[in-house]
Amino acid sequence: MSDATENTTVASVATEDDELVTKPGILGSIKRFPFSIYPTLMLGIFFFIPFAIMIAISFAHRTTSTYEVGFEFTHYARFFSPLFTTHVWVSVQFAALASLFALVVAVPFTFFISRFRRKSQVVSLVFVLCVLTLSEVIVAYSLSVVLGRQSGLPSLMEAFGFVDRAKSWYPSYGANLFGLSYFNIPFAVLILYPACTRLDRELTEAAQTLGASPVRTFFTIVLPMLEKTLLAAFILLFVFTMGAFVTPIWLGRPEDTMMAQLIADQALGRGNVPFAAALAVFFMLVTLALSLLTVWLRRSDKTGVAS
Amino acid sequence: MIKIAKIAFLTTVFTIFTAPLLIVAGVSLNEKKRMFFPPDGLSLRWYPEIFEEAKWAGALTNSVTIAVCAGLLAVSIALPIAYFLWRHRVFYAKALFVLGLVPFALPPVITALGMLIFWSQAGYVGKLENIILAHGVFLVTLPLVMISLGLESIDEELLEAARTMGADGRKLFTSVIFPMVLPYMIAGYAFVLVLSMNEYIISFFLGQHVTITLPVQVLSSLRSGYTPVIAAVAVMFILLAVVIFSLIARFSDLPKLLGAWSPKE
Repeated sequence: MSDATENTTVASVATEDDELVTKPGILGSIKRFPFSIYPTLMLGIFFFIPFAIMIAISFAHRTTSTYEVGFEFTHYARFFSPLFTTHVWVSVQFAALASLFALVVAVPFTFFISRFRRKSQVVSLVFVLCVLTLSEVIVAYSLSVVLGRQSGLPSLMEAFGFVDRAKSWYPSYGANLFGLSYFNIPFAVLILYPACTRLDRELTEAAQTLGASPVRTFFTIVLPMLEKTLLAAFILLFVFTMGAFVTPIWLGRPEDTMMAQLIADQALGRGNVPFAAALAVFFMLVTLALSLLTVWLRRSDKTGVAS
Repeated sequence: MIKIAKIAFLTTVFTIFTAPLLIVAGVSLNEKKRMFFPPDGLSLRWYPEIFEEAKWAGALTNSVTIAVCAGLLAVSIALPIAYFLWRHRVFYAKALFVLGLVPFALPPVITALGMLIFWSQAGYVGKLENIILAHGVFLVTLPLVMISLGLESIDEELLEAARTMGADGRKLFTSVIFPMVLPYMIAGYAFVLVLSMNEYIISFFLGQHVTITLPVQVLSSLRSGYTPVIAAVAVMFILLAVVIFSLIARFSDLPKLLGAWSPKE
């Protein structure tokens, strides 16, 4: 089922994108460039086949210890159970809030650094990349050090006499939300950066010559021009946060369990691979749909800025 | 006034991002096995333990092996796809390109589960090479996008000139195209290297407690009781990222790699 969806999406993206593309068929194409067999096999065997098996197993029949071939919708039916709905709702809330917070910080930040001189711009980008690529494990750990009793803000509060006995600030709802937002900001900066460098400087300068304050220019000229990019960025961040795994484990409470943890718990902890597969298939379809939406948004935005 | 607000804002953001990392660096210097900041006594003795203690040294070797090989794998898959699309512009090349973009767009837990099921069906679990293959495919998107950028930046006139001078297809590739995309290949490789070193969930699913990578070891050590070696490992990760991205910035056009638009074009 999902194979078909994926193929059609591939087709629609490809045809929309490029009028230059010709269609000699797969074999004809490979004949033109025989080296393409290698990437075809690699992506086919180690990406496409695993997904096809996963989709098949999401319909399999679960036995007490493992699963056997079958075609049933039992696992998909469990989507209506509270176990599933509660955690999906929790994940959606966290993802939406963390993406929103990240954008509020990242939009002005990216706008400013895109106007830096080249050298400072490069240094800022190196900084952003370093934070972005840091393992979720390392970031979650670092933040737990800051929020912890012996080393971080709570002990500082105690030292200044704001509280009598310092308590650790994690695990908590706020700590998890802070961790997710922290992790999202560098990603948001990289998504917004190309659009910010493309913004026409003359427009903002013109607005300011006509007497608009920089703040007003930002809200009335810059933000509207970035509208679709912002929406696309929000969706990408949302998908990215939905996949968070270590942050909610380390900084969140048990009730803050998110989608990825649920999948891992079903597959590894409880050995219910078919249900985990059904969850993953659902998650994948939602992600693909949202990603296509962003492709479409960004494409229409590009023409908007250029004109 | 506006200028002050702008500087205050930028300083705050930079501080919020740097402070946790600096505090971790401080914690890693604690003399005793405690997690104090400011550190209680100064000592560098936790750093050598990464290389000496068996579980950390093993995890480090695994992580480095996986990252080095996954990088090569990802670039080797990305280069033919990018070249195919650039040279031939056929529908199938475009489809391969889009297929190469998909893994990275999906949350890693999905790839992790798909690969886990695949290898358990094959009866071959917990192997190092499983993680290499998974990282190579999952991260193929980065070199793919970067190499494509590199190919797009090659001047058509240059190729025309080489052809008039009698270069055939192979010669054209080895003496003109390959040297011109090499910096982009290296940048793509470096991105995969760093991301693979830092990747947690795929390594956790596929390692099955047999093949353990550094991030997996960090989380399991955190759960079983704190040791300052964790902070030392964190500092090592931060330094790795700083060194590699500074090198990329030094030797290639970082703003362009990240999609900046320069008015000259």
